[in-house]
Amino acid sequence: MFRYFLRRLAGLTPVLGAAIVVTFLAIRALPGDPVGVMLSDHSADVAMATRLRAEYGLDRPLPEQFLRYVWDIFTGNFGLSFRYVHRPVWEVLRDSLLISPLLALGALALALPIGVLLGVQAALHRNTMRDTAIIVSLVAGLSIPNFGIATFLVYLFSVKMNLLPVAGWGQFKQAILPIVVLALPSAAYIARLTRTFMLEVLQQDFIRTARAKGLAERLVVYRHALGNTLVPLSTSAGIMFGGLLSNTVVVETIFNIPGLGRLAIDSIFARDYPVAMAVVILFVLFYALINLAVDLFYALIDPRVRQEIAA
Amino acid sequence: MKVGPKSAFRVLAVAGAIFVGALGASLAEAKTFRINVVGDPAQMDPITYSEIVAGRILRAMYQGFTTIDDSGRNVPALAEKWEPLATGPGFRFHLRKGVKFHSGREFTAKDVKYTFEELLRPGAKGGLNSTYLKVVVGADEMKKGTAKEISGVKIVDDQTIDIQFTKMDVLFPIYPFYFMDSGIVAEQGADWMTKVSAGTGPFKFSKWQRGASVDLVAHPGYWGGAPKVDGLSFKIVPNADTAISQYEAGELDFVDVYAAAMRRVLRDDRFKNDIIRVPRAQSTYLAMNQNLYAPFKDKRVREAITIAIDRPAMVKGLYGGAAFVLNGVVTPGMPGFNPDLPEIKYDPERAKKLMAEAGYPGGKGLPPIDIASTEAFKDEITYYANQFNRVLGMPVTVKVVERATHIRAMNAGEVAFFPWGWTADYTDAAYYLSQMWYGPSPYNRGRWKNADYDKLIEEALTVADDAKRFALYHKAEKILLDDFGMAPVPMSAVVGLKKPNVKNFTITPFGFGEFARVEIN
Repeated sequence: MFRYFLRRLAGLTPVLGAAIVVTFLAIRALPGDPVGVMLSDHSADVAMATRLRAEYGLDRPLPEQFLRYVWDIFTGNFGLSFRYVHRPVWEVLRDSLLISPLLALGALALALPIGVLLGVQAALHRNTMRDTAIIVSLVAGLSIPNFGIATFLVYLFSVKMNLLPVAGWGQFKQAILPIVVLALPSAAYIARLTRTFMLEVLQQDFIRTARAKGLAERLVVYRHALGNTLVPLSTSAGIMFGGLLSNTVVVETIFNIPGLGRLAIDSIFARDYPVAMAVVILFVLFYALINLAVDLFYALIDPRVRQEIAA
Repeated sequence: MKVGPKSAFRVLAVAGAIFVGALGASLAEAKTFRINVVGDPAQMDPITYSEIVAGRILRAMYQGFTTIDDSGRNVPALAEKWEPLATGPGFRFHLRKGVKFHSGREFTAKDVKYTFEELLRPGAKGGLNSTYLKVVVGADEMKKGTAKEISGVKIVDDQTIDIQFTKMDVLFPIYPFYFMDSGIVAEQGADWMTKVSAGTGPFKFSKWQRGASVDLVAHPGYWGGAPKVDGLSFKIVPNADTAISQYEAGELDFVDVYAAAMRRVLRDDRFKNDIIRVPRAQSTYLAMNQNLYAPFKDKRVREAITIAIDRPAMVKGLYGGAAFVLNGVVTPGMPGFNPDLPEIKYDPERAKKLMAEAGYPGGKGLPPIDIASTEAFKDEITYYANQFNRVLGMPVTVKVVERATHIRAMNAGEVAFFPWGWTADYTDAAYYLSQMWYGPSPYNRGRWKNADYDKLIEEALTVADDAKRFALYHKAEKILLDDFGMAPVPMSAVVGLKKPNVKNFTITPFGFGEFARVEIN
């Protein structure tokens, strides 16, 4: 098991290496020049532009810039930010680092119980009005774009009812709307999955056996049936966490939250190459780690997978 | 280890609890004046700052010889008075007594000299303000590293300082210098600006949460009297509509309305008592580069273009009232503005006639041309292209370019036809006249040149008397307008929303007004 973990961890290296090369080239291929952005309307100040270019190593050939960048990653500071004068990239990232995973985790924690509960209800009352009502709301939850939901919720709860803040970060109540907006489509998705899995499991022989031996219906449904849907569900939850992480880019922009997603957008507009690259690399790392974690979790809860790994 | 479904839920529950706990820390806001800025400042250093957001925030903490009051006049701040030197070009400044820095140290002539030297020190990244020192004797040597101090700056006593120039610059007292505490580096280290502020202004630095806010607290020892609020919070809000919603929900006391939300705000009856609308100190024009498009060499073509623009219709339709008509270079509210300039009337008939006289009847024979600008000007250039095509038969194509690329091309004189603006960094018409249309200026982006104009500007900059200097500005401005060297176009508005409980604060053509006396009831 531990060797499997190490092997998987080693497998991340080429992925990260490729991510570094691709982001380095992609960001430099964007039109625009960081020194131009820094000086904005005053960019005719040639002496100043030349000095800045030299200071940030932008006057060097591209391969040299790349090697310097790789060196900066290995020394751990990711170089100097172009936008935040004289600040190491690490310092710019530090405060944002946990915000996006925190939002994604909160959304998942909210979406899972709601989704599972709705899914089970729909499955148990298959082809009734209740099932139809749930399915219709799921389709709505999946199809309305999150910025639409966000605008509506802000108007209702913040501007009209004045219950929750419009935007910002730092207080618990400022996290509520963003998490709800993030969670809604995921909850709908989980509900749909749960319904499908449940319908399948409920047809299985062991469920009939459980019922035949006179087990209470509650136990049949929630222990035997639901317990068996958790295995495929946990895989989906891992993938969903990745999706939630990328959705934070939109939600952080709408709710003005200083997370990694907004930092990515801001730094690309400001042509802050080092920060933009660091954010992209961090996102790649997050994704890779989530996939690894899901695989390990899978092994933990399913003995069959564990045996496969051992063999 | 076997993990059943129950433990899986338990793990999630614990994760949820950790999450809630991590968010729990909340911030109590005392009597804090909350206002929005569009992005993070790049830094909080009064020496190297160069962009608008940093400038707006630093203005609450730092001061120069003079400051701009809410009516747009230059008034004495850290200098009480000044007079020309008897020995040659330059000024003697008499500094205000009893001014205390945020550290508690007293502000003296030594700090003025220190600030100037910091601006020029090689490798210290002197910001854009270092250019204001170019007339000071010894500044060049200091910048090149051949001198350790500026020879032209002499401390007479704690409250008096002499500054010698190579040639007279009458605007020197109004340049936006931010004088800083010369003792701060010894006390706080080279990285001091991340921890404290070193100015004399009504507020001092407290903290900066990247992406969220820059918070300042009142400086009780402020020479103009302790502020009436406990602090200022500059909330970082990039989105125009979010800022309005935050204002409506009471999360902002004052909102600087960005262009994207102006039309909506101006039309909304709920805001009608809160609105402040003033012309922005930004001179806007449509440039016609004669080196790049031959027909522009003909003055009749330039005039035809100038009068083919329906300015009042643009203000009403395109800008929804968030603009003002501009008939010259100098914007209303700027010292040196000429209120007597005639209105430039929309006259399509005369425009057509002029084109025919120039040999292009109905636009026949005109080579195709791009009208270029950035995403932000997309609506404007579309309007112009359509208008010139319809009225003059001119084959104009719209071209949208990335901002930094466009600015570089304009500076290099490579763009033939473009609308642009120039935002004033100090309050005198010279900012526009000597930078935008003065021959040797690198920001003369339309490349219009006129020797008489250049001579008048050079002369004006040596005249200390405002009225006499302004008369020279008006003459120069008329030369440019009579030659149709560019077409003045509508200038944008500054729009702010102020809650009824906010007193003594406003937004001005130059940005935020003075923060010193702001009150919240």
